[in-house]
Amino acid sequence: MPTNIYIVDDDESVCRALKTLLMTYDFEVKTFNSANSFFDTVSDDDPGCLLLDIHMPGLDGWEVQKRILATGSNRPVIFISAEKKDDATNRALKAGAVGFLQKPVNGQTLVDLINGINI
Amino acid sequence: MKKKQAKEPSVKRKFRDDLEEKLRLQTDELKIRDGQIKQGADREKQGADREKLGAYREKIAEEQIHIRTKAMEATFDGIFIIDAQKPDFPIIYANPSFYTLTGYSRSEVIGRNYFLLYGLDDHSRIYEEIKATLRQGKSFHGEMLNFKKNGEKFWSLLRITLVRDKNGIVTHYVGNKTDTTLMKQRDLEIAEQREELLHVTRVGKLAEFVSSLAHEISQPLTAILSYAQAAQRLLKDREPKLQEILQYIINDDQRAAEVIRRLRYLLKKTKPSFEALDINALINDTVKLIMPDITARDKAIKIELDKNLPSITGDRIQLQQVILNLMSNSLEAMEASRDSHELSIKTMLKDSDTILVEVKDSGCGIPKENMIKLFSHFFTSKPDGLGMGLSISRSIVEAHGGHLEAKNNLDSGATFYFTIPIHMRRDQ
Repeated sequence: MPTNIYIVDDDESVCRALKTLLMTYDFEVKTFNSANSFFDTVSDDDPGCLLLDIHMPGLDGWEVQKRILATGSNRPVIFISAEKKDDATNRALKAGAVGFLQKPVNGQTLVDLINGINI
Repeated sequence: MKKKQAKEPSVKRKFRDDLEEKLRLQTDELKIRDGQIKQGADREKQGADREKLGAYREKIAEEQIHIRTKAMEATFDGIFIIDAQKPDFPIIYANPSFYTLTGYSRSEVIGRNYFLLYGLDDHSRIYEEIKATLRQGKSFHGEMLNFKKNGEKFWSLLRITLVRDKNGIVTHYVGNKTDTTLMKQRDLEIAEQREELLHVTRVGKLAEFVSSLAHEISQPLTAILSYAQAAQRLLKDREPKLQEILQYIINDDQRAAEVIRRLRYLLKKTKPSFEALDINALINDTVKLIMPDITARDKAIKIELDKNLPSITGDRIQLQQVILNLMSNSLEAMEASRDSHELSIKTMLKDSDTILVEVKDSGCGIPKENMIKLFSHFFTSKPDGLGMGLSISRSIVEAHGGHLEAKNNLDSGATFYFTIPIHMRRDQ
């Protein structure tokens, strides 16, 4: 079970709120408003789960996921998106993600998903 | 003696004078006769020449009249001539096309007043307008809806010009009637198709708008829910009143999220209808729709379509919308510059199962800082743009299993290109 959580979402308010919530579960949480600032700050070896928004300017969620896979990192990724396309969950899981949650995210559901990850 | 002497020479002289006079007269007469003979010969010759010339001229004139008559009879336009000097303005000539066009026979036309021919109200507005124009000594030019003898409607372009004699008096009116029904129908069809596309675009824009709105609202709803749930956890086993309030916040947040979810579901119901399509034919049809814009902006379009393309699976209207959007963007990009003139659209096989469509302009190109936001909702570089066109286009192309991208050209302008798979893969 990871104790470090990274949140990448272009909406600052979403980042802050999810961080506040996850901290009540005793996670170490770091937030980033863009994929680039995440890649600049966190190295591939740093352990931790990534909560990833899909619709962002610049690199979007799918591209971030691709890039993580390309480095050979086994960082678990959970997509969180406002949009729920019928095939988005399948696509996310196919792309190697741990899960796909639609916004607004229920705290307990998210935490259960994180706790289910075996690292 | 003196008398005789005097007489003698006088007689002699007289004789001589008489003789001289006679000779002179004879010479004159001879001269005259000769002249007359000569003149007569000339006259005869001239007469013969004149006759030849006359016959020749007549022949030419006849030929010309023949050609002109034949030409008038052969033309597709209905031509008629009105006697302007008779009080009831009768038609004195009409060519065969006029009979074909109106459905009336010769006996129904010749001698009749043009305006009464259609059995329409003499005072109808258009005829009053024609009469007033002619009365002012001007030619008439106008397009109108007419009825054939059998009641069939047809559109025609009517031009009536005045024919004047040497003194400038108007003797005849010559009318020229062109059947414009086919052109009119095509115009109407194009207008209808444009309207249909605009409607789809509006519906599409609404769907995209709601989708964007839903996304924007989901963000604060996410934050509110997370904050409320965090507060609930922090207050665990304490402050039951506050716990209850937080639960209400959470419930209402989830209610709002449910409303958005349902709204999304409703809009999703208008699913595109996929069918086998010839992308080249689709492009040709779409070019027809935008041709008036291209002409109006004094631009040109180069169409380079690979003839050997397999068919694709797609929604006709949606793909037309994408192509139309890309072309009208290109036209707008070229608006500012006079040097940029040509828009080009190209199709080709990208690989064994993908077709590539390229729309290239020689316009102002895309500034580097705009490249990244180009396909975002509500991003626009146009003063009156909605910022929806490219984002909708991209989502349509992606729904077809393809990709829509943009790049700046090496010389000038930009190229937008999208791929479409030959066989639709829905699960992608």
